[in-house]
Amino acid sequence: MQTATTGFAANLPLDTALDDFNAFVSLSTSTEGSNAGRGALPKGAKIAIKDNLCTADLPTTCSSAFLQDFRPPYDATVVSLLRTAGGDIAGKTNCDEFGMGSFNTNSTHGPVINPFKPQDARTQASEAPRSAGGSSGGSAAAVAADLSYAAIGTDTGGSVRLPASYCGVVGLKPSYGLVSRWGVVSYADSLDCVGILAKSVERVQNVFDVICRFDQKDPTSIPQDVRDRSKSRTDHSLDVWSHLAPGRFDGIKIGIPQEYFPTEMDASLRSQFRKTLETLKERGAELVPVSLPSTKYALSAYYVLASAEASSNLARYDGVRFGTYQKPAPRTDLSDTSAVYAQSRSKGFGAEVRKRILLGTYALTADAFDNYYLQAQRIRHAIKRDFNSVFRSPNVLLQNPNPPTTGGVDVVLHPTAINSAPRLGDAVQQGVDGYVQDVLTTPASLAGLPCVSVPWCVAADGWPVGMSVVGQWGDDRVVLRVAELTEDLER
Amino acid sequence: MYKRLCVVKPRISKRTYATASNSTADQWSGWETVIGIEVHAQIKSRRKLFSESFNSTDEPPNTHVSLFDAAFPGTLPRLNRYCVDLAIRTALALNATVQPKSAFDRKHYFYRDLPSGYQITQNYAPLATGGFLYLDKAQRRVGLKQIQLEQDTAKSTYAPSLGATQIDLNRAGAGLMEIVSQPDMRSPEEAAAYVRTLQALLRSVGASDGNMEQGSLRCDVNVSVNRIGEPFGTRCEIKNLNSIKAVQVAITSEVYRHIDLIERGLPVAQETRGFDEERAETFKLRSKEDAPDYRYMPDPNLPPLLVSEAHVDKVRQTMPELPPALSARLQVDYGLTEKQAEVLMSVDSGVNIGYDGEVAPPGAVPYFEEVARGRDPKVVVNWITQELLAQLSRRDEPFIANPIPPSALGELIDLLQAGQITGTSVKTLIRHIFNSPSSDSPLSISTLMDELGLKATSSDLRAVCEKAVSLLPQEAELVRKGNEKVLMKIVGQVMKLSKGTADGKAAREMLQEILRAKE
Repeated sequence: MQTATTGFAANLPLDTALDDFNAFVSLSTSTEGSNAGRGALPKGAKIAIKDNLCTADLPTTCSSAFLQDFRPPYDATVVSLLRTAGGDIAGKTNCDEFGMGSFNTNSTHGPVINPFKPQDARTQASEAPRSAGGSSGGSAAAVAADLSYAAIGTDTGGSVRLPASYCGVVGLKPSYGLVSRWGVVSYADSLDCVGILAKSVERVQNVFDVICRFDQKDPTSIPQDVRDRSKSRTDHSLDVWSHLAPGRFDGIKIGIPQEYFPTEMDASLRSQFRKTLETLKERGAELVPVSLPSTKYALSAYYVLASAEASSNLARYDGVRFGTYQKPAPRTDLSDTSAVYAQSRSKGFGAEVRKRILLGTYALTADAFDNYYLQAQRIRHAIKRDFNSVFRSPNVLLQNPNPPTTGGVDVVLHPTAINSAPRLGDAVQQGVDGYVQDVLTTPASLAGLPCVSVPWCVAADGWPVGMSVVGQWGDDRVVLRVAELTEDLER
Repeated sequence: MYKRLCVVKPRISKRTYATASNSTADQWSGWETVIGIEVHAQIKSRRKLFSESFNSTDEPPNTHVSLFDAAFPGTLPRLNRYCVDLAIRTALALNATVQPKSAFDRKHYFYRDLPSGYQITQNYAPLATGGFLYLDKAQRRVGLKQIQLEQDTAKSTYAPSLGATQIDLNRAGAGLMEIVSQPDMRSPEEAAAYVRTLQALLRSVGASDGNMEQGSLRCDVNVSVNRIGEPFGTRCEIKNLNSIKAVQVAITSEVYRHIDLIERGLPVAQETRGFDEERAETFKLRSKEDAPDYRYMPDPNLPPLLVSEAHVDKVRQTMPELPPALSARLQVDYGLTEKQAEVLMSVDSGVNIGYDGEVAPPGAVPYFEEVARGRDPKVVVNWITQELLAQLSRRDEPFIANPIPPSALGELIDLLQAGQITGTSVKTLIRHIFNSPSSDSPLSISTLMDELGLKATSSDLRAVCEKAVSLLPQEAELVRKGNEKVLMKIVGQVMKLSKGTADGKAAREMLQEILRAKE
């Protein structure tokens, strides 16, 4: 058991945690381990499920006091698919409340501790515990600590990729609409994606093959004919690359987006990225500088849209039909619904959730709507246009896609995070500074594009930083293939 | 009703109060009343608008609720295409333009009957725009603004014994069509006529039962008043009117209120008002300043609703006949009066349309058409309206409960026309069948007539024989004098009169009895 030494960490409820890193919040008691290998997953593969996906046999708390006793009578579609494929659901993992957070410190179960051990034994001994990233910190920690074969998370603005980067594991955010959201507790419907974390791209790919299915219960699930159209295109690329010698990138065009190196980024990362690019060039990759001009507005647009949608999706939490009901104070006007509901909501929601609901509500008010919500939507369209103008393949979701006739790239490559994982004590003081962690991940979320974060290097402090491979909508297998190739690069 | 208003508003007691409903124009001379109506009609689909649970009417509370209806976490909407098609039918019947692309928005507010904290509606881009409804009697063309799809709320009932409100989610998420009119009506009578006409239209296309008492149709009314020649005045909205009568009375009361304020030089505040049926007057619910900001947001789960021209054509082709066309056809083809046509068309809540717009067991009109085939339609319609419908109405049963198949009624009418049975006997038979519906099918009129002793009753036979005697006085005289051979001629006349259905032997005996009696 890791002992906490710094002031903040001393308050961690490690004695009640189910594991050393507080990654799991509930564990499955069923012994489904004896899967006869009938499914697509390796025999006995344990899969951890983030606690904002509904499971019928385990509580689904979304790390919120509001849902602390919630036991939905249904499995999320993703969970059903994994069970059918022979997956053994290991348990539910810790996360930021309702998916809102970048450090997994907004949780009623307490923060998750990043399992990574820096190589330098000297620093290791005096190391303060670090954040596992959020909001899928528990899932990332579970796979980083070998507590499960793979883990399911959700990624709305970077919540799978950032923890992957901090913990030094692989994290996939698929194209929006490819994996069913039925049974996933909504944070922001137009941005939420079910994601996968594991120690290798191959494992991520195995799980992805199981859960990437059309689901008629999800109205945003992309229909089969569109998936087929996209598949025939990716088949072609993969076929061409299958003839490459191991470790070679010949013919692969990689876009380097110039706007993805903000001043907040750790200086050592820039130089390391340059070295990585040189290596790629040596291995035959064609590097293409690209510009995605709307990038600098992405973070603001994301927070406006996500908060607005969150304020809408969380309006249902009143404690009447499910969840924790707070009996109204004695002098409450019981005929005023808002006055009654406010009491359960104020008690049940954590500070970050309350903040985003209030901001989102404001953004939707008649006075603010045009300046915030509509503006954010315009930025979102601009970001999509930016990406569509750099990728070689056309976006199959568009009626009249206009891909670049020349110079289009297969994938875009950039660091996943501006820094390594912060110490847990530092991570708690957030405010707007906390949001800046998402600056590199939010554009792909807004555009609905597939993105994999692979372990890349360590920052000056010896802690991991990941690298993101982004592709055109539907090109998930292309992105995974390039990600797999980069696994072989020297760190 | 108007007398009570007189008591409440002494200031305007100088005005004369009409007792008939169509003289409000006289009461308010010099004033123009401007009325617009928003109708919420429950869509007659089997399942709800965005979930697979069944719509309910009288089921026990909270038995027709899906996870989505109760707004459980992780659930998502799924559009019911039948609701869209029924709304398209409505749009076509109202001459509105079906939009090739429309969208769904969320309207946010917290209330106990709204589980998800928002209602899915179509605020920015409704399914259909424009259109009109023509009011025959008033000769008024009421323009329409739009038709949109939206979710219904749950039902909340205050239970005094518990001191609490009880919520029934059976209705939560049911499909509604909101039909918004232009402010084209100019009197409470026109408003009532508008609602009635709209109800008939909705029923005739099977889009809704349109029943205000059952709650499948609700009205919100917008009223403003101005002196003739001046621009429109400030409008007030009156919500939750539950009957056509309430609509009329509420509008009347509101107009008086506005006139009173204007005459006193006071401004009319833009308000939302409720209607107190007991006191027959409106009351303030909230002012314009208190009106909530609904924070409309496009629903990110629902893609734009695309409706192609081809699909609209398909709906148009599979639609049932519209009331004006049907009424005209019944009058022209069958010689029915307008009133008779109206009675047939208004039986039950839908001529012959079940849920999801499907053709259900025949309603009164197709029944009539079948019985009328090869028979006198005027005779047929009278038997249907005066006997059949009367029996059903007495039992408070819908037309579908009618136990008399068209063939049976047809047979009875044939027998009647042939003099084989009296009108009284037909009524007796009909009542008998209603009281003890035959379990064996097909229904055998002949058997029943035997059982009830109605077959060729002596009195009927007597009537025919007497008629035959009156037609052949010389022969009758001869028979009286003892000429039996001539009797057969009179029997022949009886057979002719009864179109061969009379029992010859019985006729002979009857004639002998009649003729002997005259001696």
